[in-house]
Amino acid sequence: MSEQEEKPKEKTRRDFLKQVGIVGIGSVLAGSAIIAGINYDKRKTKGARIKVLTAENELLEIDRNDATKVGKFKAENLSYMQKQAREGIKGKRWVMVIDLSKCKNARKCMSACQDAHHLRPEQHHINVLKMQESTNTAPYYMAKPCQHCDNPPCVAVCPVDATYKRPDGIVLIDNEVCIGCRFCIAACPYSARVFNWTDPIRAEEDKDLVYNPELNVPQKKGTVSKCCFSADRCREGKLPYCVSACPNGVYYFGDENEDAVTNGTTKETVRFRKLIEDNAGYRLMSELGTDTRVYYLPPKNRTQPFKEEDKPEAGEHIGNNNA
Amino acid sequence: MFRKNIIIKITIAFIITAFFSLQLNAQRWDVPSNKKAKNSYIKFDNNTAKSGEEVYTKNCKSCHGDVGKANGNKTLNPQPPDLSSTLTQELTDGELFYILNTGRNAMPNFKNTLSEEDRWKVISYIRSFNKKYVQVLSKTDPSKSKLVKINMNFNAATNKMNLSVVANEASGPVVLKDAEVMLFVSRYFGKLQIDKTIRTDKDGNATFNFPKDLPGDSIGNLTIVAKVSDEIYGEIESQTKLTIGVPTDKPSLTAKRAIWNVLKLAPWWIIITYTSIVLIVGLFLVLIVRNLFRISKIGAQQ
Repeated sequence: MSEQEEKPKEKTRRDFLKQVGIVGIGSVLAGSAIIAGINYDKRKTKGARIKVLTAENELLEIDRNDATKVGKFKAENLSYMQKQAREGIKGKRWVMVIDLSKCKNARKCMSACQDAHHLRPEQHHINVLKMQESTNTAPYYMAKPCQHCDNPPCVAVCPVDATYKRPDGIVLIDNEVCIGCRFCIAACPYSARVFNWTDPIRAEEDKDLVYNPELNVPQKKGTVSKCCFSADRCREGKLPYCVSACPNGVYYFGDENEDAVTNGTTKETVRFRKLIEDNAGYRLMSELGTDTRVYYLPPKNRTQPFKEEDKPEAGEHIGNNNA
Repeated sequence: MFRKNIIIKITIAFIITAFFSLQLNAQRWDVPSNKKAKNSYIKFDNNTAKSGEEVYTKNCKSCHGDVGKANGNKTLNPQPPDLSSTLTQELTDGELFYILNTGRNAMPNFKNTLSEEDRWKVISYIRSFNKKYVQVLSKTDPSKSKLVKINMNFNAATNKMNLSVVANEASGPVVLKDAEVMLFVSRYFGKLQIDKTIRTDKDGNATFNFPKDLPGDSIGNLTIVAKVSDEIYGEIESQTKLTIGVPTDKPSLTAKRAIWNVLKLAPWWIIITYTSIVLIVGLFLVLIVRNLFRISKIGAQQ
């Protein structure tokens, strides 16, 4: 028996294969277990839980991998839409011409604008005013959007760089940055800005929309809103909402660099400088040095008289209430 | 006595007629004779009238009201007529087309906002209210417009643009005589017309005065569009790019230093004043701290 035991066993091929099989499978299993362990460990160290304090003053713990670093300045953290809105459209200088001789107070520009920008009926990016300068001068209707000054007082006073001037001349406001201080409303000589005192009119249906500063939709409670010269439409090569809504051919809009403006009603394109020169075009309060991008043509040769019922409002400040 | 009465009556009658005819004249449109004779190349039927109604509802109804109901906008002066009235139906198709193209007073023109096809369809809709109307079709064959070629030649010395219009028929080239030609330059929101609308001469040529001061892109490129309207070949449009504009490359409006610009482009006076105030205040603080040290040193010595 013992002799037999001491005698080295003769290795058959079957035994050899068996052993190789066991070792092979074992090493594969062990290897994968080690790799899995290393991976698990790696994830554990790299994806360590970190504590985050939210704006709502809540202390949360999240995985490090799920967090993105927030830049120190607001300008570093802009969305694509916000960046695009700050860059503007290259090589353009938008300009608007309002022909007061054609305005009949149809107010289609106002409704188109409020519809596009989701504004309340009392909020005006553009407003048609009833004007009369003095007792013996003729009353007239005057559409008044933001004048998009080349030297904008509103932008100069903004403490957080929320409102800005674009290379193509449009003055825009970014509601995500605006803190609602309303300095710009006070600084604007044209009263072109409105404040969202309450929740916007379409707050519920707009809540999933991506914010586009070029359209300023969705509107945001506690921020300032203003005329955008329909920057989103200009990007598409279309005329602004107010311009194309006018039934009376009051508005011209175009690019000063191209020296051409297009009428919103007839879609006729004319030369900008010639139009201003031939009709003695002027700008509002140019003595302030605001260098506006909106030009006016005087209200001469009107085809429709100023409505009798609008006269008291036009002459309110000169005591013409009962005129 | 009797004779005197008659004279008075005749005079009154004459004055009244004269007055009315004057009134009518005031409302009449002064349409050039060649435009008056223009006819539609589209055969008016129920389908064209129906699509014409859509165009009418969108563009005309707000002032003219429903056709046949005389419920147009009464506040306008002159009042827009009901288009089924004899006053309108008496006009030729060419006259109606001219009115749509030019507009007057409160009526805007539709030559840029509606296509020629849509304009004819509106007329087709208006004519559907006139049972006595018999259409005269024009000789225009729109399928032949593909044969026409417009050649543009710019003479830099005289600043004139010369157009020659030729149709390459199977039988050989045919020049388009007396065809209406318009020249445009493409702008961001529309086409700017150059010079006036003219007609080709007997050799199919038309010459336009081109302005010297028209801004192009940064190297002066302009997109020129020529539009020809011929009685047989219909409307033809051709486009080319030419370097004949004034090179325009204006700086951006935010390039200059200004108080409203971003921090990097603040005016020098702000940067200098602000920095010097900070430096002066800082210097005083350093001086104060230094003196405090000196005082404590002197105190320790005594």
